[in-house]
Amino acid sequence: MSPKQLLTRDLLVLFALTGWALSVPYYGSEFVVSMALTCLMYIALATSWSLFCGSTRYLSLATSAFFGIGAYTGALTIESQGWATAIVLGAAIATGVAVVMGALVLHLRGTYFAVLTFGMTELIRHAITYWEKQVTGTVGRVLTVVPERDTIYLTMLLIAVLAVATYIGLRRTRFGLALRGIGSDEQRAMTLGVDTRLIKIAGFALTAAFAGAAGAAMSVRWTYIDPTTVFNPFIGFQTVLIALIGGAATLWGPLIAAIVFSLLAETLRLELPQIYMMTLGLLLILSVLYLPGGLASLRWAMLKQWRDDIRAEWKTKRYEWSGEKARDKQRERERRVVL
Amino acid sequence: MSLGAWLELLASGVITGSIYALVALGLNLQYGLMRILNIAHGEFLMLGAFVTWVAATHLGWSPLAMIPLSFALTFVLGLLIHRLWFKRLTDTSPNVDVFEARALMVCFGLMFLVQNFASWVWGGELRGYDYLTEPVHVGGAQFAANKLLVLVLSLLFAAALIVLLRTTLYGKGVRALMQSPTGAQLVGIDTGRLHPLMFGIGLGLSGVAGCLLSMTYTIAPAMGEPYTVTSLIVITLGGFGSMGGALAGGLLLGVVEAIGMHFTSPSLKSLLSYTVFIAVLLLRPNGLFHRKR
Repeated sequence: MSPKQLLTRDLLVLFALTGWALSVPYYGSEFVVSMALTCLMYIALATSWSLFCGSTRYLSLATSAFFGIGAYTGALTIESQGWATAIVLGAAIATGVAVVMGALVLHLRGTYFAVLTFGMTELIRHAITYWEKQVTGTVGRVLTVVPERDTIYLTMLLIAVLAVATYIGLRRTRFGLALRGIGSDEQRAMTLGVDTRLIKIAGFALTAAFAGAAGAAMSVRWTYIDPTTVFNPFIGFQTVLIALIGGAATLWGPLIAAIVFSLLAETLRLELPQIYMMTLGLLLILSVLYLPGGLASLRWAMLKQWRDDIRAEWKTKRYEWSGEKARDKQRERERRVVL
Repeated sequence: MSLGAWLELLASGVITGSIYALVALGLNLQYGLMRILNIAHGEFLMLGAFVTWVAATHLGWSPLAMIPLSFALTFVLGLLIHRLWFKRLTDTSPNVDVFEARALMVCFGLMFLVQNFASWVWGGELRGYDYLTEPVHVGGAQFAANKLLVLVLSLLFAAALIVLLRTTLYGKGVRALMQSPTGAQLVGIDTGRLHPLMFGIGLGLSGVAGCLLSMTYTIAPAMGEPYTVTSLIVITLGGFGSMGGALAGGLLLGVVEAIGMHFTSPSLKSLLSYTVFIAVLLLRPNGLFHRKR
């Protein structure tokens, strides 16, 4: 497929999915809508995560920090500023934090980057907890002004669609190419005239903007927020898991994985939360080991290859265990004696 | 403050510090030797603690007897995990950087797996048992006997590991591998045997630390993560790959934490340690965490 056809296909799929998602609140029950909302949240988070981290291969664990900052900003400003401004402010402040954080840590690669972003997330969480306890004297906040259910849903849908559309659009621009260039070989990209530092900070900030907006939109769903809920590292981990299992370098992989995992989470978590988390952990390990490109890289040829590998392995094992191997060796030895 | 109170404060710092050191030594072994930044390291501490708790409360065994058993259990688990996952990862990764990133993700998965396994089996509440709680008087200060026991034993194990690495042939091989993996393999050091062994020993030390910890503190399935972070801080402070540095760093961090918490407030503890961690990583990113080639 030519790039143009690819663009048309992606846009059409996005259009169809959006139309379907738009109709959900009109026929779905309360439970279905809440499930769809979780799906949309993870679609926005995972797509925006893979937008930067998937293409540059910088493993950021700071999603929950941006999400939490967005949620807190939204909760603090919604009463005085209104719904739309609260979301924009949430995104803006998360972006600001991301620019500062990015300027500090983006010169580090690999494990250092992952560990540092994780540490900074925890630092922000503890700092806000401490500030709430000591300065304002509360543990959490109750939101009194809450918009309609449909308003929240449509806003979340808008954020998710924007995230996917940004991904589709950016892939074709110089900026998107520069991000992918950094992912494949940062030094080469630098040699070819890419201002890697600026590009990385911009990409990181873009991720943070979507996470912050998603956080601000979700904060009103909970009506009561405290740092432990909104800065929950699990939100960040699950985003990374979804993106990696789905295939961080692809567009639709994280989206499909987000839908599957949100549905799984909502159904399994109430009954067997630990089993769900264990499955998640095991799936992550298996996908890193056997499918480094994620589910989106799965092809028929690959499954066939696995089947053949297992068969070949089994054949040698059977040869060994049936004693045939030992007998063959014995025969070989006897033949030598005769000669 | 009286002399006795100071002594108590310092000693409580050294006691937690010695546990930090023991956990950090294991992590240092894994990261230094194999480049596996084991985020799930603290979970095996939790596993050791829970196994000891089960043995002490349900079977009535002495926690002391559980020290070798929890070591053996986590050691075998370590061998198994290495055989199942990290060996394959080493074989399939094109270079060290890719291996490191993938190993980190596998460890995250492992963390989810072990932590939720524990909370599934044993439930999420705090647990504990009494063991040697009578006070011991030392020079105007008094300590619980179990804390002194923990201090002595964890220092003993840490020292044993360091001596083992300094004096035996295996230890020499490990140190050579840390200095130069390629060079060590060229002179015939068998990584296929040393890597699983050291991974197992690292986890085993974590299990022992958990066993010791359960004698004095209450335990919960979520207890592991703070220890993982603390030991990351310790190996950052003490210098990556340096065993003596990890021991000194652990003790130092314990004392600093105890004094800092006494003079400010306990809720600042995690804030302080994360600030130290990030500051060290940002100011000395390559000097402390990175290996000289």
